[in-house]
Amino acid sequence: MSGAGNPRPPAAEALEPEIHRIGAELAAAFPPAARHPMRAIDARAMELASSDRELKAALFRFVDVVPACRSLDDLARHLASFLSELPDAPPPITAAMRISHTKAGRAALGAAAAGGVKHMAHRFIVGETPSSALGIFKTLWGRGIASSVDLLGEATVTQAEADRYADRCADALERVADAARSWPERPHLESDHSDTVARANVCAKISALTPLLRPDAPARGQRDAADRLRPLLRLARSVGAHLHIDMESLDSREAVLELVLELLSEGEFADGPSAGVVLQAYLRDSPAQLATILDWARSSPRTPPLQIRLVKGAYWDHELVQARAHGWPVPVFELKADCDRNFEALTRTLLAARPSVRVAIASHNLRSVAHAIAANRAAGAEDGDLELQVLRGLGDELQDALASLGFRVRTYCPVGDLVAGMAYLVRRLLENTSNDSFLSAQAAGTPLEVLLAAP
Amino acid sequence: MTGDPMHAPFANEPTLELRRAAVRARLADSLATLERELPISVPVRVGGDTRAGNDLSSTDPGDPERLVAHAAVASESDVDAAVRRATAGYRSWHASGAAARASALLGAAAWLRERRLELAALEVRECAKPWPEADADVCEAIDFLEYYARGAIELERGRKLLQVPGERNELRYVPRGVVAVIAPWNFPLAIACGMTAGALATGNAVVLKPAEQSPGCAEKLVQALLAGGVPAGVISLVPGEGEVGAALVRHRDVNAIAFTGSLPVGLEIMRAAVEPAPGQRHLKPVIAELGGKNCVIVAADADLDEAIPEILGSAFAFAGQKCSAASRVLVHEAIAEHLLDRLAGAVTVLDVGQADQLGTDVPPVIDREAQERVARYARLAERQGRIVAQAEPVPDRGWFCAPIVATDLAEDSEVLGEEIFGPLLAVQRVRDVERACDLVDELPFALTGGLFARDPGTVRYVRDRTPVGNLYVNRGITGAMVGRQPFGGNRLSGTGLKAGGPDYLLQFVQQRAVSENTMRHGLVV
Repeated sequence: MSGAGNPRPPAAEALEPEIHRIGAELAAAFPPAARHPMRAIDARAMELASSDRELKAALFRFVDVVPACRSLDDLARHLASFLSELPDAPPPITAAMRISHTKAGRAALGAAAAGGVKHMAHRFIVGETPSSALGIFKTLWGRGIASSVDLLGEATVTQAEADRYADRCADALERVADAARSWPERPHLESDHSDTVARANVCAKISALTPLLRPDAPARGQRDAADRLRPLLRLARSVGAHLHIDMESLDSREAVLELVLELLSEGEFADGPSAGVVLQAYLRDSPAQLATILDWARSSPRTPPLQIRLVKGAYWDHELVQARAHGWPVPVFELKADCDRNFEALTRTLLAARPSVRVAIASHNLRSVAHAIAANRAAGAEDGDLELQVLRGLGDELQDALASLGFRVRTYCPVGDLVAGMAYLVRRLLENTSNDSFLSAQAAGTPLEVLLAAP
Repeated sequence: MTGDPMHAPFANEPTLELRRAAVRARLADSLATLERELPISVPVRVGGDTRAGNDLSSTDPGDPERLVAHAAVASESDVDAAVRRATAGYRSWHASGAAARASALLGAAAWLRERRLELAALEVRECAKPWPEADADVCEAIDFLEYYARGAIELERGRKLLQVPGERNELRYVPRGVVAVIAPWNFPLAIACGMTAGALATGNAVVLKPAEQSPGCAEKLVQALLAGGVPAGVISLVPGEGEVGAALVRHRDVNAIAFTGSLPVGLEIMRAAVEPAPGQRHLKPVIAELGGKNCVIVAADADLDEAIPEILGSAFAFAGQKCSAASRVLVHEAIAEHLLDRLAGAVTVLDVGQADQLGTDVPPVIDREAQERVARYARLAERQGRIVAQAEPVPDRGWFCAPIVATDLAEDSEVLGEEIFGPLLAVQRVRDVERACDLVDELPFALTGGLFARDPGTVRYVRDRTPVGNLYVNRGITGAMVGRQPFGGNRLSGTGLKAGGPDYLLQFVQQRAVSENTMRHGLVV
């Protein structure tokens, strides 16, 4: 049916012993749990949420509404309201419900809940503004970890909002690039075979750069976004930063990719900035999408080469629900193993496409990461020719392990206030507690050989 | 016929996946194909007889010089002949059985399916329905055929009754006879098709009077039904203006009337229907889907990132010309300024343009009269309140209206109470959700309503208090899907059981209970 269902090619089969060896080496380099006492608490909370569907839904809906609550009292009322929907609430929750019947009780419950959500948010979001996060970026860099800034924000529905988002991107490019000049040298983070690798790295979303992007009529939104993206590309070039264009749902994929490749083809960007796009492995047609990007990259004379970040994709539920609601073919792999196999196939295609492109593999799946490292070495490349990326808050242990073994690792660091960050936070939490998630399997103590088994 | 032709359970016809460039690329071709066929000639169809004519024409609302269809207008004697043919035809149609009738309706659905893009193109031209909406309308027409075909088979099985020794009891559903269908232009295929398919599926004959603005679409519907195997004797088409509908409604031998349109016309029909014609031996029920004044409540804990695009779509898609469209927003005062500010910014960038352009957010309204009506309410809104946003520019040829957001309107403003049926949205601050529900409750219409809120307690409260027929929570308030959101209003918004729902067909049938004595000579035989 799909390419991913085919048996692995013999070359891939031959990688297996090396994948297991590297995977074991990475696992051994994970920091001991004792170093992250708060993580242990989070892990227990997540485990509780993962095991009870109704409770998980109630908690996520609560986390989602927190920024819209106007007082601790309001917050506590919402929490009680969500929990009252549970068919049979566990004892701690019944206790919380009782507390919520009095004003004083609600103040206490609201404060506790607000504290909990804030704590959770701070695990994933590094600061309200790029300036406030510069210290974290510097510390990470000092520990051998590069970073990428992602600006969280409300949806863009007006021109003023698009302008503000573009201003925030420009501000991030300037401030991070400026701060990065004083960072100490970390050769393996700032160069590969083809060129130097920018220290400052900022991500932008096309849907935030225009209120006009319509899935069924991309042209007007593309033109409008282009007017804001061009100055950002110019700025990134002049301050020597990398600008990465994120991918969102399938609704905007064609528009985003077409726009980025078109702008990068313009003469003024022939020698920079360093720029990148995203490939989502959960999409069934991602191999064809990659072929399109590679055709472009191979025929493009521009330098430095385009970076392609391979991810699994963060809109799986959305894509599935939307396709089912409309009666459209489901665009994503529905089985995790199919998606994982595709991820590995795309990894190999990408590695073979160098030096026309630069490759970043973004995954928390130890198997996928070990596979990328093994395939990269098998291709005769240096470890430094492969970038590995993780998400702040979800991939911290893997990040530490990769850094301690000298790999080039970059951590994607969202920046923004709680209101803006909530949609991101909920997506990350859903991902982390999904029964299919590698991280939950790992947290549940699944044996290493199972975690590293070929999908 | 072998048994139940409906092997597959009902599923909605998938709309075009227009987010894919390859799918979008097919639209231009279909428009070109259609244009070679224009103008469409729409005859009066009485039984199998057709009479062409050129008395009435439909034009492109975005380019009134462009002729889309010309139609013969039915005379009073055409109407009479059509009703006679229907009276003569419905018994054998009913006798053919629900499975055979269903099979003809499925044939019609297949015919429409084969021509989906050309039919959507016709809606783009005749009603200035933008592509995604036009496509959805064709899909909905197919859905009605598929859904009611299955429903009629189900209905034919009758209902179970108590059986005691010595008697056999049956409850059967039988057709009313001749159903007059009077259809609107805003869902030019789907609504005409839904009412017609409901009547036909249950064994009635139909005389269809389409809106004078969309005779071309109605002609395609009749062609589909005939091609699918509906006998010519049970589907007649009588194009024309109000007087054709009036003659049909008054006709002695019409047994029931299915109407979708405005409240004033609906009331006129009901008045005419209660007065029996000389020699009339039955009552004429009227199944009416009428207007709306639909409110969206935005609670303080709403997610505005979600609410704003959904409100925009509900108020301005197809220029607000849906009975389900949002016409008022009742927003909690704590977030009113923020909402108004973002909504105004979002309306300013709406693209007002031709329906055949995919980028168009707001197409022209249907005709000059509609344009003038919307302009009148816009002037009222300016005088009685404040216009906070208006999308410009607006093309000067064609019946375009600038989409408008108004606020600070006096409580007794006509803008807040009357159905405008155009791209004008009024925003009001309320102190809480209870007050919003009071305002909704004061309205004479009760068709659709919306709520954006995240507290499940708020959702329960509004659900229990709202008078509306269709409440939509945390989503847009238009786009009801057959079998998923049965559609229809309460109060002055309609009489009917919901279209696209499990009970709709009951309006087209009468019940007959038969109780047979099975005792002979003291024995149960």
